[in-house]
Amino acid sequence: MSSKLLIPLHVSYIQKLGESKDDLAYHLTSHLRLNAIYWGLTALCVMGHQEALDREEMIEFVMSCWDDEAGGFGAHPEHDAHLLSTLSAIQILIMQDALDRVDVPRVVSFILSLQQPSGVFAGDSFGEFDTRFLYCAVSALSLLGRLDELDKEKTVGYIERCRNFDGGFGNVVGAESHSGQAFVCVAALAILDRLDVVDTDTLCWWLSERQLPNGGLNGRPEKLEDVCYSFWVLSALSILNKVEWIDANKLSSFILSAQDLETGGIADRPGDMVDVFHTIFGVAGLSILGYPGLVDLDPVYCMPAAVIEAKGLRKGWKALERRPADS
Amino acid sequence: MHGVKRTRQTADDIAAKKRREQSKIEEYLALTRDVLSRKKASDWSEDAFNLTTKLLQVNPEFYTVWNYRRNILLRGLFPQRTPEDVNNLLSEDLAMTMTALKAHPKVYWIWNHRRWCLENIPNGPGSQEDGDVAGWKKKCWDRELFVVEKMLDADPRNFHAWNYRRYVLAGMPVPRPETSELAYTKRKIEANFSNFSAWHQRSKVLTSLWSSDKLDKAKSREVEFELIRNAMYTDPDDQSVWMYHRWLIGSGDDQMLLEREISVIQELLDEQPDSKWCMESIVHYKLILIRNHSRSVDVGKLTGDCSTLLSQLQRLDPSRRRRYEEIAKNIDVGPR
Repeated sequence: MSSKLLIPLHVSYIQKLGESKDDLAYHLTSHLRLNAIYWGLTALCVMGHQEALDREEMIEFVMSCWDDEAGGFGAHPEHDAHLLSTLSAIQILIMQDALDRVDVPRVVSFILSLQQPSGVFAGDSFGEFDTRFLYCAVSALSLLGRLDELDKEKTVGYIERCRNFDGGFGNVVGAESHSGQAFVCVAALAILDRLDVVDTDTLCWWLSERQLPNGGLNGRPEKLEDVCYSFWVLSALSILNKVEWIDANKLSSFILSAQDLETGGIADRPGDMVDVFHTIFGVAGLSILGYPGLVDLDPVYCMPAAVIEAKGLRKGWKALERRPADS
Repeated sequence: MHGVKRTRQTADDIAAKKRREQSKIEEYLALTRDVLSRKKASDWSEDAFNLTTKLLQVNPEFYTVWNYRRNILLRGLFPQRTPEDVNNLLSEDLAMTMTALKAHPKVYWIWNHRRWCLENIPNGPGSQEDGDVAGWKKKCWDRELFVVEKMLDADPRNFHAWNYRRYVLAGMPVPRPETSELAYTKRKIEANFSNFSAWHQRSKVLTSLWSSDKLDKAKSREVEFELIRNAMYTDPDDQSVWMYHRWLIGSGDDQMLLEREISVIQELLDEQPDSKWCMESIVHYKLILIRNHSRSVDVGKLTGDCSTLLSQLQRLDPSRRRRYEEIAKNIDVGPR
């Protein structure tokens, strides 16, 4: 167990992810490739090592995922366009300052075409719908500077109907509150300047009760802790200015204890296999908690804060103050 | 990777594993190339359909291939089949996704495909005239309820399964009485008081029954208080129970009810003097009393009680110390 974030080791772990083509698991996760690149790149940015992956190669890969029939991005070349991968593509291109490569009007119409009469968004043409996709749409439109084309009332109305008595949100109307949905719904409402829809005291009570005695956070009452909830819960708390309602030191220690000290990377919990998904959300959580030496992360967009500020999109969230390196 | 234990492997182990995997990778990539090039060529044949089955059995998360499979059904297979054959095809797909769900109970794409199958079950076997026009649909949707109960037996907290259950209940051609869902959630809760998913579902069902006057709210709420009291005494540290209790109390317009429940919880606190949830709930309800009923309660005494409990909570539950401090500070400032 280490009490420090092993940045060089995690950087090399992320660099090596693309080199595991002789590993079956690599090919079985091609449907998440673009998301994985976004996770890896964001983690690198937060650790101050954006240059560790080749920019040109990355941009070319993103563009090779363009689905010209649908007008959006798939997760991998020749995969169907989907909102999840379309948001990842936009985020990557913005972080790499290459948004000029995108046919913005086509992407915007792809995104808007997926809104349902209820206000929620489907992920793709076959119509599974979920507040996750609603967030993807709102975030992507905002990043593209085209939020004015969205029917905001209808969109907010759906989120409102997903709110439960515990203050949390479900992934569809009627569903149980889940920490992941706290992030997507609160962040979407922040982007839409409609945080008045949130019952802040009740939600932050529910979120603060996600912390378990070992410091880790869970996703729902009476469930196990998992590093990825570090980000889902903390992003919502920081947007609502209540990060202090949990024990930051205990959570930092928990995230650090899930690092793999030999290969790099962070796992869901100590002793498990690492992956890039838990690596970014562990690092993102540490950034919000003010961990020394990390770059500020914008909890609304889950991208470097400076990138969002430069676009004039910063909302009124508050993370913990960054601690000096020796503390 | 959720919950996969880390194992240390030597360089030799890794090399051996890679050699073993080499042929699998080649096979998988060849199959993927075949399927995706057929998709590109708009191949809606039965051969292509069978290849998607093969590929999805290896990788049920390959959403593009699920999409392709649905397009083959819609554009290639359905138009040439009788409604009976369409029904059979979809039943086979439901069986196939059942096998996939047993191995991968949390894969969104599989649940999604099941929904699509259900929604495409044709009318029949009878006609509008003979009254058996929804026979196939009824059979399928009824079976889904059975399937989802099996899934919830295996993992009573699987939120995919609970969502699917709500979806099936809402869409059944012949709806079941909502009250039967009360019996179901009670069974789940009694099997395990910590199952917040079941409490959540119960709160939704009751809300609907109360608002449609199918159930007398006052009477049924008393039944719920009885149920929750058992749970509180069984495990006072279980937060599911306290959250549900908060929902039952609601906005707290009923002063007598609030006072009665505060004294019930106080009794439990006297027995379990370190119970965080007892203290936390008493504070919450007393603050509601102050806020909603300030003219008919002793505000000074209630405020004092809350401050004392909040100081105790800060010591007892230091992780959330700042929250208790903030609540205490707001009481001092007075009602906002």
